[in-house]
Amino acid sequence: MKRILLLLLGMLVALMAISQPTATEIIEAADQRMQGESNRGTMKMSIVRPKWTRDITMKSWAKGTDYSLVLITAPARDKGTGFLKREKELWNWQPTIDRVIKLPPSMMMQSWMGSDFTNDDLVRQSSIVNDFEHTLEKDTTMMGYDVWKIVLIPKPQAAVVWGKIEAYISKEKYFQLIFKYYDEDQYMVNTLNFSEIRMMGDREIPTRMEMIPAENPEQKTVVVYEDFEFDVELSDQFFSLQNLKRLR
Amino acid sequence: MKMYLTMAWRNIWRNRKRTWITASSIGFAVFFACVMQSMQLGSYERMIDNSVRFFTGHLSIHQEAYWGEKILDNSYDRDQLAGLPMDPDQVMLSVPRISSFALASSGRQTKGVMVNGINPQDEAAMSGLDEKVVDGVYELEDGALIAAGLAEYLKIGVGDTLVLVSQGYHGVNAVGQYPVKGLVAFPVPELNQSAVYLSLSVAQRFYGAEGLITSYSLLLNSPGQMAAAQQSIEAALDGSELSVMNWREMMPELVQGIELDYYGGLIMIGILYMIIGFGIFGTFLMMTKERTYEFGILTAIGMKKPRVQLMVSLEIFFLTFLGVILGLMASAPIITYFYLNPIRITGDAAKAFENFGYEAIIPFSIDPMVFYYQGVVIFILALMLGIYPILYVKRLQTIKALKE
Repeated sequence: MKRILLLLLGMLVALMAISQPTATEIIEAADQRMQGESNRGTMKMSIVRPKWTRDITMKSWAKGTDYSLVLITAPARDKGTGFLKREKELWNWQPTIDRVIKLPPSMMMQSWMGSDFTNDDLVRQSSIVNDFEHTLEKDTTMMGYDVWKIVLIPKPQAAVVWGKIEAYISKEKYFQLIFKYYDEDQYMVNTLNFSEIRMMGDREIPTRMEMIPAENPEQKTVVVYEDFEFDVELSDQFFSLQNLKRLR
Repeated sequence: MKMYLTMAWRNIWRNRKRTWITASSIGFAVFFACVMQSMQLGSYERMIDNSVRFFTGHLSIHQEAYWGEKILDNSYDRDQLAGLPMDPDQVMLSVPRISSFALASSGRQTKGVMVNGINPQDEAAMSGLDEKVVDGVYELEDGALIAAGLAEYLKIGVGDTLVLVSQGYHGVNAVGQYPVKGLVAFPVPELNQSAVYLSLSVAQRFYGAEGLITSYSLLLNSPGQMAAAQQSIEAALDGSELSVMNWREMMPELVQGIELDYYGGLIMIGILYMIIGFGIFGTFLMMTKERTYEFGILTAIGMKKPRVQLMVSLEIFFLTFLGVILGLMASAPIITYFYLNPIRITGDAAKAFENFGYEAIIPFSIDPMVFYYQGVVIFILALMLGIYPILYVKRLQTIKALKE
């Protein structure tokens, strides 16, 4: 009897372990949903300030966590400007001066195109999987979803600027809903809100991201995906400096 | 009264040697004090003029938030200045500028620089930028003028291409490449390492700030008109997001530096007054001692002491007046000469001056205040010392005096 009970208990624990994925698995799945193996799309970024707003439209390509490429298509004065990320390096193509600039580490925390995103955000977006220890904190509900709250603490040797990230991910379909970024002193720096979950390509994803700096809550940067395809055919050569200059 | 005046006048000229000694000791005092003060004020005037012409203008119009946070987002549309009262009797020059930072690059060298969008003609008239060109030409069009020290660092010369990268108005991406048209040399190392000049319209395009300027500097005909001009512009700008500031508000460190130096100079002049004071006192002492017998006779034949005192004070007044006039007459041509031909310093001392960002000259001021102030101060000083002979007469005992 005792043995059967123990067995049942063991099975129950095993079942729970199956139904409840680990924090790392959740982050991985959420990241996979947003990125795919590779992706291609166009998006519009609006920089919103109390007195003015500025829109930038761009095309983007990405493959895995190591390669991505962004090409500005509007406004006219910035048209053709490109950013290429290869592993941890970020390159900037400026057609007006006919030069490729490798962004130095000192510029990583600077604003990207005047937005609330930093150059670092562009490069390290996917490192949430590899550079952090993930812990499941608690379950809540928000925006009509049951969500996991997961705390990401950077691994000791990881080159990460954040002291902590809180991620809220829906239990159903692993939508990223809110990311809160904290500095080393545990002060909140940025809030990244995801919304407008729609079909894009073969899957549903949040198509609107809002980055709000904690220091200036009246300003924000909104990125809206206009169309997006996942798991497209892209060779590694696509993400080269030569191609960066050639792309239109 | 007329008789006293006649007596005093005749007394002075009775002993010409004594009179000239006294008058010239006062005259020298005035002369030295004037020259010293003129040099001091002259160097301030030049410092102010240099800074005002180069940096701020006597008055400068900004967007209100600009002075607190000097960023491009705090620039303004130049058209907002249309209809501003610019009295040509007051305003000599008005210069629009757009200034911000950028990263300058050439080959493998990169450096943070200050980019100034300017109107070449206006700027030449205002700050004499055209005279600072050491290589190439003073001409902008689509090119750039860069500081000589910066050119050396970037290893570029006239005809090479300068690449500028920055963030423009409202955070737009600002990149551009410009041929270097000329090199300008500045004595101030800070400027010489970082100044880049583009034409106003090119800089506006570079920063994505078409039609915008960060400052509008006014150079006045005379600094004395500043308060009036500031008031009228302030009144005209009332209700807009623009404000006008004067150079004293914009360069407090200059004002304070001058004040500090001025008080240091006052101590020097105070010491000078003391030395001079004793000199004058000595001649007065001599004068009274010499005339003790004369005063004794005057009182003995019945002249009341207050009348003697009146006569003596009139003499002292004449003497002092004569001395001050002498001093002013001696200093005026010399100061005027040095005002027109400042003393040029050469050699190592000149280098030291240039390292501090000053021209290596000792300028003089011909501000009438110099003469007026020094003349009055020494006049009063001499009159105060003149109390001694008056007291001497008061204490005079006729019998004793007659026995001298």
